[in-house]
Amino acid sequence: MNSAAEVSAPPRDARSFRRRLIGLIAVGEVGVLAAMALLIAFFWLLEPAFLSERNIRAILNVVSFVGIIAIGQTILLVAGEFDLSVGSVAGLSAVVAAKLMTAAALPVSFGILGGIGVGALIGLLNGLIVVRLGIPAFIQTLGMLFIGQGLIQVVTGGYPVYPLPEAINTIGGTDLAFGLGWSFAFFIVAALFADFVLRRTVLGRNMYATGGNKEVAHLVGVNTSAYKIGAFITVGALSAIAGMFVMADLGSGGTSIGSGWELTVIAGVVVGGVSLFGGAGTVAGGVVGILMLKVVQSGLVVIGVNSNWQQIAVGVIMVMAVGLDIVRRRYFIAGA
Amino acid sequence: MSITTQAPLFSATAVAKNFGGVQALRGVDFDVVAGEIHALLGQNGAGKSTLVKILNGVHPAGSYTGTIQLDGRPISFASPADARSNGVGYVPQEIEVLEQLSVAENVFAGRTGLGTGMMVHQRKLEQRAGEIFADLGIDINPRAYVASLTSAQRHLVMIARAIVMKPRVLMLDEPTASLSGTEVDALFAVLRRLKAQGVAMIYITHRLPEVLAICDRATVLRDGQVAVRIARENFDAETFIFSMSGQRLQRLFPGHAAPVGAPTALEVRHLTVAGHSGAVHGARDINLCVAAGEIVGLAGLLGSGRSEILHGIYGRVAAEGEVRVAGQTVSIKSPRDARAAGIALLTEDRKRDGLLFNLPVGANITIGNLAPLSRHGMVRGALERSSILTAMRALNVKASSPQASVTHLSGGNQQKLLFARVLMRAPNVLLLDEPTKGVDAATRHEIYRLVVELAEKGVGLLIVASELEELIGLCDRCLVVADGRIVDEFGRGEGGEDRVLRSVTAAQAERHAIASPASA
Repeated sequence: MNSAAEVSAPPRDARSFRRRLIGLIAVGEVGVLAAMALLIAFFWLLEPAFLSERNIRAILNVVSFVGIIAIGQTILLVAGEFDLSVGSVAGLSAVVAAKLMTAAALPVSFGILGGIGVGALIGLLNGLIVVRLGIPAFIQTLGMLFIGQGLIQVVTGGYPVYPLPEAINTIGGTDLAFGLGWSFAFFIVAALFADFVLRRTVLGRNMYATGGNKEVAHLVGVNTSAYKIGAFITVGALSAIAGMFVMADLGSGGTSIGSGWELTVIAGVVVGGVSLFGGAGTVAGGVVGILMLKVVQSGLVVIGVNSNWQQIAVGVIMVMAVGLDIVRRRYFIAGA
Repeated sequence: MSITTQAPLFSATAVAKNFGGVQALRGVDFDVVAGEIHALLGQNGAGKSTLVKILNGVHPAGSYTGTIQLDGRPISFASPADARSNGVGYVPQEIEVLEQLSVAENVFAGRTGLGTGMMVHQRKLEQRAGEIFADLGIDINPRAYVASLTSAQRHLVMIARAIVMKPRVLMLDEPTASLSGTEVDALFAVLRRLKAQGVAMIYITHRLPEVLAICDRATVLRDGQVAVRIARENFDAETFIFSMSGQRLQRLFPGHAAPVGAPTALEVRHLTVAGHSGAVHGARDINLCVAAGEIVGLAGLLGSGRSEILHGIYGRVAAEGEVRVAGQTVSIKSPRDARAAGIALLTEDRKRDGLLFNLPVGANITIGNLAPLSRHGMVRGALERSSILTAMRALNVKASSPQASVTHLSGGNQQKLLFARVLMRAPNVLLLDEPTKGVDAATRHEIYRLVVELAEKGVGLLIVASELEELIGLCDRCLVVADGRIVDEFGRGEGGEDRVLRSVTAAQAERHAIASPASA
């Protein structure tokens, strides 16, 4: 175009700028990985038993349960919403599945589908209410957290559902490799798949656009309501699956499954660089964040720190991570 | 003139600043005397904003070299608040208001105690804000919530906020960017009053007619240096353009002739858009036609319903009526339908409904356009990248790479990026809402050329722009919009800015004439 335009932008700052940005983006995943490596080294130096096979297996086993939910929560956060009811949904789905298999005497597969159906249905309900009625996700899903807890008691009458069909105990007890079972396999496959979807597909890109600026996404033809509701359904279904894996692991439909997970999951994915403000973060980051949180919790146990201090450590780490997120955001949107 | 002999009230001497090795300012001398309106001109990236940020304390003392003097005494500001308390006020270009608070609370933001203590005197605030508005000749209810104001009204609130501090030096960064003609006149009246009170003003703008209208002196920056300083008696638009760009732009508007006998690209019948949030009228019974290759302008004041017509056609807001594209009636319920029909919209406010700040430059261009760049729903990385680079080259988007952030692109580059996005699907009908808002003079010229190029390729264009001179110069035909209706229409060469203003005034008078007997 005309040469007057050549002076319209300074190309000089472009390079140093780009370096800085790449550095900041990298904080999301590489930064957390580096921090985790340091923590692992720290705990290992203090107590070599931290890296024992048993402890590693225990950490990975726990991560597989919450990690499945973290995948869904990451997708939902990217779409610009979040869900506080994931723990309740996990518990409710587990006991519903257990009841279907035992009290209703349905085949195991029906029970599992029923459990997933409950999770997806609650996700749909959350999504519809948030998107169509405009009730903030915080209120809607906090309400659903209580509703879910209540329903767990209604369904079970307060007693764990036990015994479960043999097939369930088999699912929970299978050792695929290194003492890790189906839940871990599902977690890995789902994480890889979800990461790919967000990173490489049109659907993923539209999800980022929806979470970044709903109005812009709408104007470029993205059906933002469908994306948000879809993300709510996904997180609901994944919560249900996680809940049922715990049930299989325990061999009983316990009434406390999922209790308190919602905050662990959100804390974890936020530590992993998923933005609470929507439109930023990756599944890989979210999963690494959860892993790091569990490493810290386990490490503090192993080195014999008082359990009260463990809580404090988790809190401090989460606030620091969100602080990091805000700083990163400020660099991205500085001047806006 | 006496102004040049008067001692400066506020001055900067040999101010230099660099950002990580990039020299943004290379020794700038600048001064403003009491009762003067001093224009600060220059393209984006020339150093205007850096200079202003130094003068109002955003870049604190120590981060630059050179001296600043107030009343002949050296002074340094640690922060914008420090500058304010020393009587140096600043009205930013971006609208920074607290939507959930009332107009009065926004005007006194940060000082709601009125200096008397911890309590907020709601009534007093409202009264004082009301006085300021009366003084400004602006009709905004101090009790209204800012969330219900239009962007022009929000800007006026911000100006009121700065004036409340009774500054001796007032810096205004593109104060008219979101104002319409009458609002600009109201603002100028305020500035003249402040000038009479001896306030020194630094007026940053891209709009040369405003400099000619109100400023006493002008300093043009180019590449971080003062290119030229001109006193009022030597003001001349050509000189400004020449010294800003370093070359003389031949013609402000590229020539274009309306196509003869071209098929209709867009036809709108009886389009009605409901008004929203009180301030906006909406649009009623709009009938218009745009031929393929024709550039049609919607002229009118801000809030006249110009943008609502575009939004109604694009399906952004609910609208009744019939829209035909290339002779075919299309049902448009959402932007998705409009896009499928070959209509594209470039929105007015880049920050609010244009850019995605969470995505890099490349993804900002391809968002919404990924279907042809993907297979089975998977984005084909190499193909996406090459089409991004093609689009960036075609529109001269200056970014270091497709991975760069959009945040720090200049306004002009951000706008070209958004053009790249809407053009990627090769629309047949292009709706442009303020396509040159907040872009530098050179990019503006590029956009004019682009518009003409698109018209020559057979795209039908419908353009909304607040600057009438621009709209009339660019368009083959202008439709005048007032109070949500089309009240006049004229072709290239058949009328100027005066005709638009006369039509608007006549339409408003007519409406009053109709309304009065009914109320009597």
